[in-house]
Amino acid sequence: MMIQPIQPGFVGVVTGIDICQPLTAPEVAQIEAGMDSFAVLSFPNQPLTDEQQVVFSANFGELEIPLAAQMMAPEKRRFQKIELGDISNFDGKNTDKLRDREDSRRMYALANRLWHSDASFRAVGAGYTLLHSRVNPTKGGNTEFADMRAAYDALDAKTKALVDDMIVGHSIVYSREQIGFEVKGDADNLKPVKHRLVVTHPVTGRKSLYLSSHIGEIDGWLIPEARAFLRDLTEHATQRQFVYSHKWEVNDLVMWDNRTVMHRATRFDDLKERRDLRRTSIKGVGLGVDSVPVQQAAE
Amino acid sequence: MTMTFTPLTPNFAAEVVGIDLTRPLTPDQVRAIDDGMDRWGVLVFHDQRFDDETQLAFSRNFGELEISSGAEMSRPEENRLRPEMADISNLDVKNKLRAADDRKRLGALGNRLWHSDASFRAIPAKYSLLSARIVPPSGGNTEFADMRAAYDTLDEATKAEIEDLITEHSGAFSRELIGFPREIYGGEFQEKLRPVRHRLVRYDERTGRKSLYLSAHIGSILGWPIPEARAYIRDLTEHATQRQFVYAHQWKVWDLVIWDNRTTMHRARRYNDLTDVRDMRRSTIRGEAMTVQQAA
Repeated sequence: MMIQPIQPGFVGVVTGIDICQPLTAPEVAQIEAGMDSFAVLSFPNQPLTDEQQVVFSANFGELEIPLAAQMMAPEKRRFQKIELGDISNFDGKNTDKLRDREDSRRMYALANRLWHSDASFRAVGAGYTLLHSRVNPTKGGNTEFADMRAAYDALDAKTKALVDDMIVGHSIVYSREQIGFEVKGDADNLKPVKHRLVVTHPVTGRKSLYLSSHIGEIDGWLIPEARAFLRDLTEHATQRQFVYSHKWEVNDLVMWDNRTVMHRATRFDDLKERRDLRRTSIKGVGLGVDSVPVQQAAE
Repeated sequence: MTMTFTPLTPNFAAEVVGIDLTRPLTPDQVRAIDDGMDRWGVLVFHDQRFDDETQLAFSRNFGELEISSGAEMSRPEENRLRPEMADISNLDVKNKLRAADDRKRLGALGNRLWHSDASFRAIPAKYSLLSARIVPPSGGNTEFADMRAAYDTLDEATKAEIEDLITEHSGAFSRELIGFPREIYGGEFQEKLRPVRHRLVRYDERTGRKSLYLSAHIGSILGWPIPEARAYIRDLTEHATQRQFVYAHQWKVWDLVIWDNRTTMHRARRYNDLTDVRDMRRSTIRGEAMTVQQAA
């Protein structure tokens, strides 16, 4: 197995391994070490089945059940494997039909065009996310990754002091609100959860900004002031020098560490072209973002 | 004395020396400034010791003055300055620093988003003229972005897609972006928040150039679902405010900066507004026409 960085210290391309096959413990360790170094790993040309993607993902921890799958009746789910997230523009199980312009699933998914960290609205956010490409549009639909370690390092000393102990509130409601899509209800999974804005990686000891469009509040700050500040910080953190834009090829698997990168989807002609990606996520248990004081996380 | 224009970036914003703007201007001088605005979009003048009277007199050279939206959305006794003068300060009517939860302070935080002044009016602003009377020791820059260069650098497919798009602007939309509800922002003046429509692409007959008419006040695109419109406007704004299109102005006392709201966006940067005074005064020239027919 070989890992070749695309940018210094950020995004590695992994070759010389077949991840459709069961991995050995040293291989898993080497991939994890690669994740610690590069935060994003890209495995080109891996024709995984759904089953194989789940098996490969399980090497890195317990899989999350996607929010959408949780909330959906079993007969409406597109995949047999409930761990698989549907990142497509298909009308559910009918893969020949694209979602209509006004489809609420489409509206909901549009918020993925904002920079975010997966499942940061959960008390324990996602660790790794793994995305496998099956069908791509002819143009657009990239996934962009921003290095939150480099973004933290590049802050001036005053800003570091300001953010180092900041506690922020995340909710899926906040990211949808930013594009004018109201998520209604008082379900527990809509309530804001608290995380530290600056997290320390348990293995490398590096600090990073745990930013996400799901953030809508800062403890002790007035909302408008918090939001204006978070926008400034996000702008800093997503400057081009911190960003890698992944143009998908069929059978790419890209995995990233949500504790150290933000990502977003870029636009494509989703009313005319097909795009099908499948996502698995690893729970972040014991991986660092749960370093928020427990009583605050539980509020 | 002759006026000299020195570019501040290769194609955008210029510094002007050799003129005292506090004195009456000749028609030739006014024309030279207008031409400079057409060429550069933003003009920076130093050491212009205006009071409100002389600033308004100078401003009238360029057209009719707007009544500031701050004045329109408050009662006269709440205002420090006369209605033609927008109060871009962190001071209240008693010249005291505004409290953290002051309604006007929270509303003014919307100025930290990229916008074009008064784009929420059916006839939006032409020039804004901002005079620095007191500046904070750090922070509080104003940044300007060149919407003509932003338009020019779009790919052809995007240009074709946006050519005839109509957007809706309201001061409420920009405040909602930072979680400040329209009910509080507008108070008893909710009718001032009614959205108006504009073309997303403006054409300037004098220069023959097109520009992106973007603003944080945009909340929708006619015929588009709201979330799709907002995500798209964000993408366009990100394109339009890349560093190569931006000039950041670091204020000195007695600077006067003029910008053309039809061809630029701008935003304020953060400073310690709970402890440091920043007193800037803006006069605004009304535009000459609507960009589209308004719905009844």
